Amino acid sequence: MNFLVPAFLAGLFALAIPIAMHLRHREKGTPVRFPSLMFLEKLSIRTSKRQRITDWPLLLLRALALALLVLAFARPFAGNSDAAAAEDAPSTKVLLLDRSMSMGHSESWAAAIDSARRIVRESGPQDRLGLVFFDDEAEVAQPLTTDHSAIDALLQTATPSTRSTRYVSALRAARSVLLDAPNVPAEVLVITDLQRGGVAGLAGLELPERITVRAVPVVRSSEANVSVSGVDVRRVADAERTRLAVQARVASRRLSDVRTVTARLQIDGRASGEQSITLPTDGERVVSFDAVPLPSGRVRGLITLDTDALAADDTFHFALEGEDGLPVVLLAPDDAFGVETLFAERALAIGRAPTVAVERRRPGSLNEAALQDAEMVFVWDTPLTQSENAALETFVRGGGGAIVIIGRRLSSRDAVVPLNAATVNGSADRFADRGGTFGDVQTEHPVFSAFRDTPGALTSARFIRYARLEVPAGTEVLARFDDGSPAVLERREGAGRLLVLATSLDTRTGDLPLQPAFFPLLRRMVLHTSGHTAAPLWQLTGEAWALPKSLPEPVVSTPSGEILRPAGNDSTGAAVALAERGVYSAYSSVVSGDPVSTAAVNVSAVESDLTPVDARELLVGVAVSNDEAGADAGPAGSIELEKRQGIWRWLLMVAALLLVAETLLANRGWRGKAARLTVAGSERSAS
Amino acid sequence: MAIAPTAFLDPALLARISDFELLARTVVDGFMHGVHRSVRKGSSLDFAEHRAYQPGDDLRRVDWRLYARTDRYYVKQYEADTNVSVWFALDTSASMDFTTTTVTKFDYARFLIASLAWLSKQQGDKVGFVTMGADIGEVIPPSARHLQRILHTISRTAPSGKGELLATIDRLAHVTTRAGVVVVVSDCYEPADKLGRALDTMRARGHDVILFHPIDPGERELSFAAPLTIEDAESGVRLPLRPDDLRKQYRDAFAAHREALTKRLAAARADYVPLDTDQPLDRALHAYLDMRARRHPGR
Repeated sequence: MNFLVPAFLAGLFALAIPIAMHLRHREKGTPVRFPSLMFLEKLSIRTSKRQRITDWPLLLLRALALALLVLAFARPFAGNSDAAAAEDAPSTKVLLLDRSMSMGHSESWAAAIDSARRIVRESGPQDRLGLVFFDDEAEVAQPLTTDHSAIDALLQTATPSTRSTRYVSALRAARSVLLDAPNVPAEVLVITDLQRGGVAGLAGLELPERITVRAVPVVRSSEANVSVSGVDVRRVADAERTRLAVQARVASRRLSDVRTVTARLQIDGRASGEQSITLPTDGERVVSFDAVPLPSGRVRGLITLDTDALAADDTFHFALEGEDGLPVVLLAPDDAFGVETLFAERALAIGRAPTVAVERRRPGSLNEAALQDAEMVFVWDTPLTQSENAALETFVRGGGGAIVIIGRRLSSRDAVVPLNAATVNGSADRFADRGGTFGDVQTEHPVFSAFRDTPGALTSARFIRYARLEVPAGTEVLARFDDGSPAVLERREGAGRLLVLATSLDTRTGDLPLQPAFFPLLRRMVLHTSGHTAAPLWQLTGEAWALPKSLPEPVVSTPSGEILRPAGNDSTGAAVALAERGVYSAYSSVVSGDPVSTAAVNVSAVESDLTPVDARELLVGVAVSNDEAGADAGPAGSIELEKRQGIWRWLLMVAALLLVAETLLANRGWRGKAARLTVAGSERSAS
Repeated sequence: MAIAPTAFLDPALLARISDFELLARTVVDGFMHGVHRSVRKGSSLDFAEHRAYQPGDDLRRVDWRLYARTDRYYVKQYEADTNVSVWFALDTSASMDFTTTTVTKFDYARFLIASLAWLSKQQGDKVGFVTMGADIGEVIPPSARHLQRILHTISRTAPSGKGELLATIDRLAHVTTRAGVVVVVSDCYEPADKLGRALDTMRARGHDVILFHPIDPGERELSFAAPLTIEDAESGVRLPLRPDDLRKQYRDAFAAHREALTKRLAAARADYVPLDTDQPLDRALHAYLDMRARRHPGR
C-alpha cells in the first residue's frame, strides 16, 4: 500500500482530539448530587478505572472515522502483484552511456567504458540490464535483458560521436526502456562527463517515482579545452580578382595558463594560411588569415588547431557557395531605361551574396525562354501582351518572383495590370500637400522587417503621385500610403510570389530612391520575391539540411562516406539530417563530378565547454510522478492506475457511514435515555 | 368526578398542597375513611370528659347511657389518653433533599410528620417537634395546643448542611424528660449499630421509638444510566463512576443496610419503618397506629 500524498498522514495526529475530548468530557461532567456516598465509598472502585475513557465504542467510532478520512486524503493506492514481488525480484538497471563529442576527451571514453563494464560485472546474473547510447539523441542499443554478454559486446564496439549532449533524450529513452518492466523499482545509471550544457530541456521531464536516477561521473584531470567556435568569411574584390578573407574565432576555457596555439587554414584541401595566437585562460580570440585568391565554384574550408585532449573540436569546417548570381529580368519600356529605372538598377548592382544580374528586356520580348534562367522579373510600368502574361504566370507559379511597378503608364484608363494583380482606379496627385508618405506598414513582413526598429526610415519618403489600387481577393496589403490607399501588395501565385508597387521608383514621382531605405528595401523585395536564400557557412549536428529544389533525385555523400538518397516532396524538397561533423555533398542522381551543393557541419560550441555540473543538480527540474510511465501509460494504463488509486472513494464512503452512526450513537445509541434527576428542588438531566 | 379520599394519601398529590394543616387533615380524613374498625384505642380508669363520637372511635367507648338521655353519641375520654407526649423529630440534613420522582425525601417526611401530628392531636396526644441537623434545631415541647405551631414550623423548615443524626438523637433523649413516643424521620445514613445504640439510650428513658426511613427509588436502585460524577449532598465529595458497573454492589449494600437497621432496631425494641417516597402515606399511618396499639394496649 502506497500513498499519493503521504503528507496527509500527518493528519493521524488529529486522533488525539477525540481522545482528549473524551477524557475532558469525563472531567468536566456536571456532578449530580446524591444523598450520601456512604455505600459507594465502601465499594471497590479503582481510581484508574474512573479516569479511563468510559465511552469506548463512541471513541473508537470517532477515531476510526477520522483515520479513514485522513487515509482517504492521503490517496492510497495498491501495488499489483508485480510490485509485491518486486522486493525479492532481481534488480533492473538501464545504463545511459554518454557518447557525445566531449566524451572523446582523451581521459573520458575509456573511463566511461570501464565504469559501464564494472556495473555490468557487479550485477547479479538475474539482474535485467538495458543499454542506451546518447548524445543529443538517444539510441536504445539493448533493451532490458539478462544476457550481460550482449551489453559487453556493445560496449566494446561503442565509440564517441561528434554530436552534442542532451540528457533529456537519454532519460526519455530510459523511461521507454523501463516500460518493459512496469511497476518494479529500477535504477538508471547515467555514465557521463556531466556537461553543464546538456541539462537544457530537463525541466518539465517527468519520471515515475519508482525510477532512481544516479549519475556515474567520468572524472577528468582538467577541463581545459581550446576549440574553434566559428568562422567569418568575406569575399574581397580588388582590381584584379576576388580574394577570400577568413577569420576564425578560437575559444579557450579553463586553461591553467595562457597558451599559444597555431591555427591553420585549408581551402579546398590546400594549406592556405597559418597564424599563431596567444589565448587567455578563459575567453576568445579572433584569428585573421591572409586573404587568398577565391577559387571558382564552391569552396570547402577547414580551420585546424594544435591538437589537445579533446581533438574533435580542434577542427572547424565551412563551405562557401560559389559566386552565385541572382538573375533578374527587367522588362521596361524604352523610354524608361536609364531614366526611370536608373536608381533601381544602380541599387541592384551594389549588393553581393547574391549578386543581382539584371537583364534588360523590352515589352513584347518576354517569353518562357527569356525567363528560363531568371529567378525574378521586374515589370516596370508596362502592360503585357496575352502571351507575356501567360509566360509570366507560368514563371511565377513555378516558383519565380515578380515585381510590378505601376507608374503613369499602367495608371492610364485602359491599362491592365499584369497578372491582374490589382485594379487601377486612377491616380493620386499629392503635389499640393508636399506629397504623401507611407502610413500603415506591416513591419513584421520580411520585406519591411529591417525597418521594424526604425520606421522613420520609411515614412520619411515622399510620394507626389501614385496609383490608386483596388485590392482583389487573395491579395495582401503590405503597406499603405498615409491616405489609406494601398502602396505595396503581395500575392502568392503557386510556388512564387508577386509584389505590386503603386508608385514608380524614380525621382519624378517621389523621393524614395533618394532615401537611405531605398537600397535595403529594394534588395529585400528582390530576395523575397525570388525566394533566394544564402547558404550558411556551416550548420550544426542535429540540424536538417534542406537540399536545393533543383535536385529532382538528390544523392548525398556524408562525411563518413555513406551515400544517402533522401526522399522529398514537390513543395518542400528533400532534407538530410546532419548527424556527422564534416562536409556533406549533394549530387544529382549519382555521386560524380562536382557536387550541386555542399553543407559544412560542426558541433555546437556548447559541447566544447567541459565544465561539469554537480551530479546532484543533474535532476533539478525533473518532476517525479506517481503516474507510472507518465503519459506513455496510455488510456488503458490510466484506467488501471485509476482503479488502483480508487480506494479513497471507498474510504470516504465508510467514513461518512461511520459519522452517521456516530451521530446516532452519540445522541441515543447504547447510552439509553437520560435519567431525569431533581436535586435540591431543581431539575437536572444527567446524560 | 369525585376524587376518592384515599387519593389524598398520594405524595405526588400532597406535594401540591402548601397548607400543612389542610394537608394533614386531608391525609388523616382520607386515611380514616378507609378504616372500618376504629384503630384508636386507649382507655383509662380516670375519666376526664366526653367528646363527640367520630367515625373510627371504638364503639365500646360510646357512653350508651348518655346516648339514652341525649340521643347523641359520645365517647368517654380518660386522663391517660391526653397525657401521651409524642415527639416528632425531623432530619433536616441536606441528604434529605433528594428525589428522582416528584417528592423529595424531606417533603415526604414533612407530609408524614404533619399527618401524624394531626392524627395524634385527634387522639388527644400532646405533640412536640424537633429538627435534627448538625445539632438540635427547632424545639417545640409537646402540648395539646402546639399543633399549629408545629405545622407552621414544618412548613418553613428547609434541609441543609451536614447531619449528625447520632448526636442529635442523643441530645433529644436528654431533652425529652417525660416518657412518651418519639417519632424519628430520617434517611438513616448512619451505621445501623451506632444508630441502634443511640436509640437504646432513648428507649432506656422510657420512650417508645418509631423510626421512619424515607427512601427514594433512585437512591435505592442507583438508577442513573450514564457515567457521571456524583456529589455527596452533605460533604460535597465528588465521585466519578459508571453506575452500570456498580449498581448491583450498591443495591446489595443498601439492602444490607436496611436489613441491619431492621435487626438492630428490633433488638432495641424500636419500630423501623422504611418508606418509599413514591408510595402513599397510609402504610406509615398504619404502622404508627399499630405501634400505638402495641405500646399502649387498652387505651
